[in-house]
Amino acid sequence: MTGGAGGLDVRGADVRFGVRVGLSAIDLRVGRGERAALLGPSGVGKTSLLRAIAGLDRLSAGSVSVDGRDVTGELPERRGIVYMHQAASLFPHLSVLDNVAFPLEVRGLSRAEARIRAMPVVERVRLGPLASRAPATLSGGQLHRAALARALAADPAVLLLDEPFSSLDPELRADVRQAVVELLGDRVGPAVVLVTHDIDEATGLADTLTVLLDGRIAQAGRPAAVLRAPQSLAVARFIGIDNILPGVRDETNVVTCALGQFPSAGPAGPVSVTVRAGSVRARAPGGRGRTARVVGTLERVSGPVLRVRIDGDDVVATPNTELTCATGDLVELCVEPSSIHVIRGSEA
Amino acid sequence: MTRGNAPAAIASLVLASPVVIGAAYSGLAAVGAVGAGADGLSGAALVHVLTSSVTWQGVAWTVATAGVATFLATAAAVVVAVRVRGSRTGRLLAVLPMGVPHVAAALAALLMLGQSGLLSRLARLAGLTAIPSDFPALVYDQAGVALVIASAWKEFPYLALTALAVLLTDAARLEEVARTLGATSTQAFWRITWPRVWLGTAPAALAAFAFLLGQYEMPALLAPSNPTALALLTYERSIDPMLARRAEAHVLALLALVISASIVILYARLQHRGQSESA
Amino acid sequence: MTRHRQRWWLAGVALWTLVPIAALVVRALARAWRYPQILPGAGDAWPMFGAAATGRLTEALMTSLVLAMAIGPASAVIGFTIGRAIARAPRPARRVGLALALFLVIAPPTALGVGLQVATLAIGVGGTLFGVFLAHLVPAAGYLTLFAVGIFTTFDFVLEEEARTLGARPWQVWSRITIPILRRRLAEAVVLGALVSWGQVALTLLIGGGVVRTLPVELLSFVRSGSDQLGALAALAVSVPPMLAIGLLQVGIRRTGATL
Repeated sequence: MTGGAGGLDVRGADVRFGVRVGLSAIDLRVGRGERAALLGPSGVGKTSLLRAIAGLDRLSAGSVSVDGRDVTGELPERRGIVYMHQAASLFPHLSVLDNVAFPLEVRGLSRAEARIRAMPVVERVRLGPLASRAPATLSGGQLHRAALARALAADPAVLLLDEPFSSLDPELRADVRQAVVELLGDRVGPAVVLVTHDIDEATGLADTLTVLLDGRIAQAGRPAAVLRAPQSLAVARFIGIDNILPGVRDETNVVTCALGQFPSAGPAGPVSVTVRAGSVRARAPGGRGRTARVVGTLERVSGPVLRVRIDGDDVVATPNTELTCATGDLVELCVEPSSIHVIRGSEA
Repeated sequence: MTRGNAPAAIASLVLASPVVIGAAYSGLAAVGAVGAGADGLSGAALVHVLTSSVTWQGVAWTVATAGVATFLATAAAVVVAVRVRGSRTGRLLAVLPMGVPHVAAALAALLMLGQSGLLSRLARLAGLTAIPSDFPALVYDQAGVALVIASAWKEFPYLALTALAVLLTDAARLEEVARTLGATSTQAFWRITWPRVWLGTAPAALAAFAFLLGQYEMPALLAPSNPTALALLTYERSIDPMLARRAEAHVLALLALVISASIVILYARLQHRGQSESA
Repeated sequence: MTRHRQRWWLAGVALWTLVPIAALVVRALARAWRYPQILPGAGDAWPMFGAAATGRLTEALMTSLVLAMAIGPASAVIGFTIGRAIARAPRPARRVGLALALFLVIAPPTALGVGLQVATLAIGVGGTLFGVFLAHLVPAAGYLTLFAVGIFTTFDFVLEEEARTLGARPWQVWSRITIPILRRRLAEAVVLGALVSWGQVALTLLIGGGVVRTLPVELLSFVRSGSDQLGALAALAVSVPPMLAIGLLQVGIRRTGATL
């Protein structure tokens, strides 16, 4: 899904922590209706970047444009960028409805009119019956939906969400994620930038994924592409790819690793082979695939996966549904060559 | 919206301005440059004040009386806080006199502690004394007993409030920790709570001490004329009919400001150390 | 701590606190309270003083009130503005600001006062109500800065930031978010500032030059001239409003469950 026209355009942004440079040369383009995720470890500067884009802190270099207008020097209230903090920060002295009406009131509407215009937004996030309640009486998920409604009422060109789900229980995350998807997806809606350190959140919600490592953009692209083909070992490790195997590429563009041999063009030398657990299937021995010994089982919400050892390397594989095995058993692995990704260099 | 040094710097300048203005004018007046008795630049007032025994006896006396009063008030505050902890009436009673201005407290002290005051009359009722002069002279005496008692009475509510606050939050939390580590309630109290309350009230005690040092109205009504409390001395010089002596008031004022500034710096150091310890 | 023993301690505190105040009350109501009467005789029970004295007391009351009602809001505004800046500043700047505010509170009024006396005379407000107002502002601003720093240290500034990205201009943030949330503390601050002015003696004497006569100034004057009863009346007049204010604040604190 490509974004609509306008939106956010950040070029060459540098963010500093005191005298240290946190992030440099950050380019980010997010169209209207598009959802972009910024992924990176804690402390890399994601929040600082968002705050600088919103105008709450200063960029030490670079520019920010919204819908084609350069807002780099502008005050926060004039940028058309709404920044939502990690904890849903509703104004405690105002009801839910008055919170949502707030952006309308500060733009000059009377309280009565603002309330009338705010009510449909409150209902869109399914908080209609709670409109006159105080924030202190709301649950975590309700608070987030109310904060979202308030942000939408401001009709921003750009919406920045700072770790929107990290303070929520897993059950609530799905609920609020659903609200985000429902509300922020049409081409006239805001450009959404979502910051997180959780890869699943990022891939679940975003159209594009930008990985920030060591102060720079390490990789940017569609989530599926990044997961399938991380461009560097650092990215692969950060996003938590299950299998990063050492291998060697020879002069004939063939890579050899624990999972076998695969064609891959490139210079000879040590490489790392990455493949997602879902692309390595384990079944009962008997076919032409490579044999491995089961060393353990990992329980995941989506289902169990097997840890198997082959040629001294550990591999995480997904068992076929009919496979039953125990630690110490032998299984056969089969890998789709197109799901293999090779990165220059090796962990060793 | 960066947090800046700039707004804080302006704020500090605004706060400092009355001190700077006052000290500057006092500085000029002390050397005879401005003011009622100004007679041309001269260091005479400076020398006279700083070498006079009246000055230093006054300082010593003021420090001693303020120190004793603060100690008594702090001890009473800590003990009372521990005894009435949790009682809302107790808290209200302890805090109520906080509103009574120092000058009214001084009058109350006169009424209670004078030789013909209430305590003296109760003593007569009890058969301990027969006439007013049998009762010890607590007001206007060299030891400043009435002043000490009145000062302690006045500072008690503030210190009790602080002690209660420390007791109910900080000390309570640490006491709980001690209990979960196996200490009995008595052990936890004497080894954890008791020291903690004293420690927590110490900064407030220092502030109260500094405040008492500069007090005018209570010594004005209760203290002897010799040795003279510092604030009294300053005021008297400032209205001295001999205009030339008025410059001495400014020297004394600057001396008092230096003493106060030293205490504030000490206080800030203690706070800072306390914070970095608990960090 | 048994309830029984605690009762004794409470009684002790009550005596310690209330008897001196009771003494003031008794002295204020009795024309004479001679040795060795524990309580004044029936014949001396009723006050009797001339219109002049009543006039002096009333005027002094008015002067004290006017000053307090002016200092309360003025010092609250100054204290909150300065206190907020200090609370948000980085550590070193914060400590300096706090130390300065504390200095204003602790510095002996006589010491500051003699210098400020020369200053106010120089600019022509010496001996005027306005001059005394300016003088009272000094300790009041100190107290209120300390008060405000305490408040803003725990204030959630995120709320202000959210408001700004939602489109509110700085004055809108103040008027719709910050001040409404801090409404109660602001009221407390105004009361605190008023109380600071209410109890001032040395500053009033030095800058007011004996012309500006507040309740505490009259109290001193009455006692020194031997009019104990008038002095006690003045003492009551000067003590009762603050005690009421503090009592009300304590009740307010109890109601909201906030702890000091």
